[in-house]
Amino acid sequence: MRHKFLAILVLVLAAVLFSPLENRIQAERVWRKYGGARVSLPLREKLGQGTAVALLAGLRGVVADFLWIQNADYFVKDEWVPMYRNIELVTTLQPQSTTFWEQGAWHMGWNIGYSVSKDPKNENTAQGIRREREWHQKARDFLLRGIDNIPQQYDLYFALGWLYWTKLAKDCGENTDCQRAAYSKAAEYFGAAGEFPEAPTYIGREYARALEKCGRDRDAYEYWKTLWKADHKMTNQLWTEVERNIKRLEDALAIPEDKRVPRNKDDGSLQVPL
Amino acid sequence: MTESQVNLTTAATAIKPGRVGFSLHRVWIIGLNTFTESMRQKVFNILLIFALVAISSASFFTEFTFSEQLKFMKDFCLGAVSVFGTLIAIVGTAQLLPNELENRTIYTILAKPVRRLEFILGKYIGMALLLFISVLMMSLMLGAVLKIKEARMVMVAQQGVDQASTPDAREAAEGDLAQIRADTADLDIIKGIILIFIKLSLLAAITLLISTISTSMIFNVAVAFMVFFAGHLRSAATEAWAHHKIWLALLAILPDLGAFNVADDINLGNLIPWQHVGLVAADGLGRIVIILIATHLIFAKREI
Repeated sequence: MRHKFLAILVLVLAAVLFSPLENRIQAERVWRKYGGARVSLPLREKLGQGTAVALLAGLRGVVADFLWIQNADYFVKDEWVPMYRNIELVTTLQPQSTTFWEQGAWHMGWNIGYSVSKDPKNENTAQGIRREREWHQKARDFLLRGIDNIPQQYDLYFALGWLYWTKLAKDCGENTDCQRAAYSKAAEYFGAAGEFPEAPTYIGREYARALEKCGRDRDAYEYWKTLWKADHKMTNQLWTEVERNIKRLEDALAIPEDKRVPRNKDDGSLQVPL
Repeated sequence: MTESQVNLTTAATAIKPGRVGFSLHRVWIIGLNTFTESMRQKVFNILLIFALVAISSASFFTEFTFSEQLKFMKDFCLGAVSVFGTLIAIVGTAQLLPNELENRTIYTILAKPVRRLEFILGKYIGMALLLFISVLMMSLMLGAVLKIKEARMVMVAQQGVDQASTPDAREAAEGDLAQIRADTADLDIIKGIILIFIKLSLLAAITLLISTISTSMIFNVAVAFMVFFAGHLRSAATEAWAHHKIWLALLAILPDLGAFNVADDINLGNLIPWQHVGLVAADGLGRIVIILIATHLIFAKREI
């Protein structure tokens, strides 16, 4: 019996000894945003019995994947309500996954939005349009939450810029001020995405196009020039596209000859900076 | 005479009469025999099921994006390593002592100049070896399937690059191609596997401790699984009971098994520094040593 007490004492002492180390590990996990939402009662109720057990067994990724795969089924059957619920649940379980935020917003902004606009239960076309716009707003709010969770990657900034560019600007209808504001937002998020060194070059070109769309032609021209000044050994950049836009904007903005990007005398192409 | 008994007799002949000293050689022999016995119970058949999981996860879900497919595959395979490893660790360890008692082989072993500490350490090392080989083989299988999957995905992505209608679309498709190569070549997954192995070794130590108290294998398995689930809930419970000092003190006895689950984060592309892996590994290994000391303290005076 004495030895059993001694064994328990050893375990308790170990717990005391290891507490500072485990507290440090836990603090680091919170700081680095490892894992996801805590296993709480409301979360367990949303998950159901089987998936909750898997979650308790540490299979968070597998549970999230299963729910996501289930979404494909809802998508085919046009069951948008459970699909939306699943998207929310999956991003709660794994808020660090760009794929879930990006694809979830795409479902909301494109698939669900279009589907509700064509819903035969709509009383009239206007109701369909209104419902579609509501889903676009939901997609926007969803992506903003995604950016809050993953501010260190360019993907969600670009996705939000693309949503403003393709959906929210169109939702403005004939209202030019609203359109301009939407394109301005698109430019803001394309610009933020383009700041990341690993961002593909087309994001920078989208940024310049969005600047022009929201009426900031001069800024767009300056940005195209900035792109032109970059290292021309960079094979990914579409130099012909950059050149074409610089020339077009120089004409449109009536830039004086001496202020324009220098040309090669033989063919009139832009001189490559040294 | 069994192989185990023959080996121990050979090892014991080198011992001088009088007090028996601690011998790592005898620990190793008991460990090797524990490992061999587990192999004879066809524990490695579980690897066939793992292979099925790996191949299935690589073959299905082709309607999803490249990044989704790779995420699913890695999640399912690492989940399977964790699940099958847990089963081996708990069920395999839970039967070690009850089997020895039931078959009465423990009497012949302990009648020789073998210390109880050597016996218990040998049993644990045998189980840890079994877990190591199992995890290693499953990881190698995962690596092989991942490479096959990469080749298939690169082929499809290359078609996307060739068929791109605009320069922007081409660049996006090239980005996909680069992403596939980067995701499949991500060696950070090793960190996740190391921590899974340490977690399984910790579970084996806990199960061995439980089996020194009880003689029923079912009891050992049931309690070990309870500790397993409670260990995963520990950080949530610590947060919920932050103001209850007594509960917190009791919780501290449990290891935080959730801290070992970094594989999910690695799959999401989160940076897991070696320093963090080192801290968690130190915690796990330290806990194992303490649990083995407690196991020895109980087993040393246990009536057999």
